[in-house]
Amino acid sequence: MFKLADLQGNILRGYTNKPHVRYLILEVVERSAARRWLADSVSGRNCVPQITSGDWGEKKPDTCFNIGLTYEGLRALGTPSASLKMFPNEFVEGMTARAVKLGDVGRSAPENWPAPFNEPKRVHLIATIYAEKVEQLDVVQERALTDVKAFKLLDTREGYNFPGDVVHFGYRDNITQPRFEGVPDSQRHPDRQPKAPLGTVLLGHPTNLEGLTWRVPQPAELGHNGTFNAFRVLKQDVTGFEKYLDQAASYLLEHPQRDELLPPGAEEKIGQGLSIEGLSRPAALREIVAANLCGRWRDGTPLALSADAPDPNADLTDFDYVGVGDARCPHGAHIRRCNPRGGQIVQRIANNSRRLVRRGVPYGPPYDPANPYDPAKPGDGDEPERGLLGNFIGASLGAQFEAMSCDWLNLGLQDPRITGSNDPISGTNDPDTSWFDLPLKSGGKIRLPGFPEFVSTRGGAYTFLPSLKAIRFLGSL
Amino acid sequence: MPSDEGLLDRFVDWVPTTLVFKCVASWTLVPYWARRTSVKSLPGGPPPSSRHGDNVQCMMNLIMPLKVKSPIGRAEAALAIAQSQDAIYAGLNNVGTVHFARFVIVGDNICMFSVYDGDFTNYIRDFIATIGEVFNEVVKLVEDGEKVTPCERNVEAFIQWIHERDLYQVPDTATDFLRDQEALNGDRAVSPVNDDLTLLPRKMVLQLRANKNVSLGSGYRAYPGFSVAQVRKQLGLGW
Repeated sequence: MFKLADLQGNILRGYTNKPHVRYLILEVVERSAARRWLADSVSGRNCVPQITSGDWGEKKPDTCFNIGLTYEGLRALGTPSASLKMFPNEFVEGMTARAVKLGDVGRSAPENWPAPFNEPKRVHLIATIYAEKVEQLDVVQERALTDVKAFKLLDTREGYNFPGDVVHFGYRDNITQPRFEGVPDSQRHPDRQPKAPLGTVLLGHPTNLEGLTWRVPQPAELGHNGTFNAFRVLKQDVTGFEKYLDQAASYLLEHPQRDELLPPGAEEKIGQGLSIEGLSRPAALREIVAANLCGRWRDGTPLALSADAPDPNADLTDFDYVGVGDARCPHGAHIRRCNPRGGQIVQRIANNSRRLVRRGVPYGPPYDPANPYDPAKPGDGDEPERGLLGNFIGASLGAQFEAMSCDWLNLGLQDPRITGSNDPISGTNDPDTSWFDLPLKSGGKIRLPGFPEFVSTRGGAYTFLPSLKAIRFLGSL
Repeated sequence: MPSDEGLLDRFVDWVPTTLVFKCVASWTLVPYWARRTSVKSLPGGPPPSSRHGDNVQCMMNLIMPLKVKSPIGRAEAALAIAQSQDAIYAGLNNVGTVHFARFVIVGDNICMFSVYDGDFTNYIRDFIATIGEVFNEVVKLVEDGEKVTPCERNVEAFIQWIHERDLYQVPDTATDFLRDQEALNGDRAVSPVNDDLTLLPRKMVLQLRANKNVSLGSGYRAYPGFSVAQVRKQLGLGW
């Protein structure tokens, strides 16, 4: 069994009241000092920020602090080779070696990643600070870097949760996470998905694939109750996304089946759902395209529950892709590709087996639709980079994150109707070959062509999120 | 057109065709080269690719040396497959991404040749989840099989074990073969020197010393680019 107090808090908690997040990307300087730092971090001694555990007792901490170690980081700390050998291949090789599987090709290729991710072997530890205010981030960062012999700061990445949990493409995010067996469900959202076995997110527990267990690095205090994280810096081309919605709306306005997609007068209902008065027909078509690409209207309403218009009263989590839900949501929609729930898929045993805990925070300034970037406009300079700092947490990077990325997001293998297409939002798309099918009520479809890559990778690393016991173990090496 | 080749050139071209040279090269020259130029064994399976067409109808050529190298050992393997055949076929059907699979005994090896869609590790992991228990009985008859059984409890090690016994697939083009070698050595950029195709025969000899059995080329496909489920759907077989 496990105690919440032995887990790092960011695995099962979202820290929703701490919108400011800063990632410190660190390199071990001196092994002994780094070990001492880790030992001190468990209890917060000697100025080192205390690791936030999954059980913070009566009083919520003002700031939260968590760490993840890369394979190179474990090596730099002097982890015994017998233990290192027990870590899975994908973690040992690191994210850059798995680039093709993850769709990190072309401009997303690791060769094009900026520092510090252009030198993956130097990325040893990624510490994350969560706070209500930016000043608090500075204070914790200073404490974390007090001992210059322990770690060298290679760089930082910083994000901020926008009000209403909206992310850069304008969708509401952070809606749902897997619920786990044996873990109190504080949110208590109704959800038709079965509770995930604890082994989905923690090493040393039963997994969703019956009878299968993932290897736990030994000694048990190192591996047990640890998990893995795919940390990703994902740049979002918001201008390109909005332009594409315009382009798609123009295309659909001329399409012979446009009235089946948007019956005359239906734009008003969509406008009501999105609290937009006098929504024009092209604007409504833009929203229809945006909703279909994602599988949710931008307010979070799942298409599986409400395909005609956003519904503020719709449940955001209690839906499935069977029966009417199957027909309402495009088979290639982003959220359906990431998690097909109970819907029919080719890999019959894989339903619910590739689920991940997702913790994301936007970075860069919010996009202003009233004042979009225009390279031809004097003074606009370079468009500021914006995107998502994403964490995809699961007990097996190979069976969950990579399996989802490779076969589902980038190949569409789970459904013959989408095989050969990439995820419309996060996939490695090329306007010459990309396609996406909008379902029609008659059973037909309208194929949208010509969309570019909206999301590109700008860095990342596979990290191991050790339990508190494991951090003590590493500190005592 | 008159030949520019001199007597010496013709002699040099002729020498490798002689039996004496081939024997000397096999027993002396190749081992000497191999000692001077360390060549690692190239990994099995198709090379990673982001092209959709390369990620369906992938081929696995699994060669597993039997522990008992005799007709008795081969009969044990044949019997193990025969006893589990229905369960294995039903399991492969449930994996959902397998076009074809067959078991073959070649020499003292039990071989599984299959054509599958998507990522190799996902294929093997799903295979373990559906018929791992049955397949354990086959793997137990194979050299080092006991180290990875039961496969349900040794998932990562089993996948690696299968990967190591899957044949290296020599690419269709020489430059891709040279790039495979460089990738294995961790070279990120291909230098012009290493693209020297005149070195190809030597490199191929050394590689085939390291990878004794290989699959040649990416193979013929009558309907390339289609997944199992796409074919089944088109034929009305359900998927």
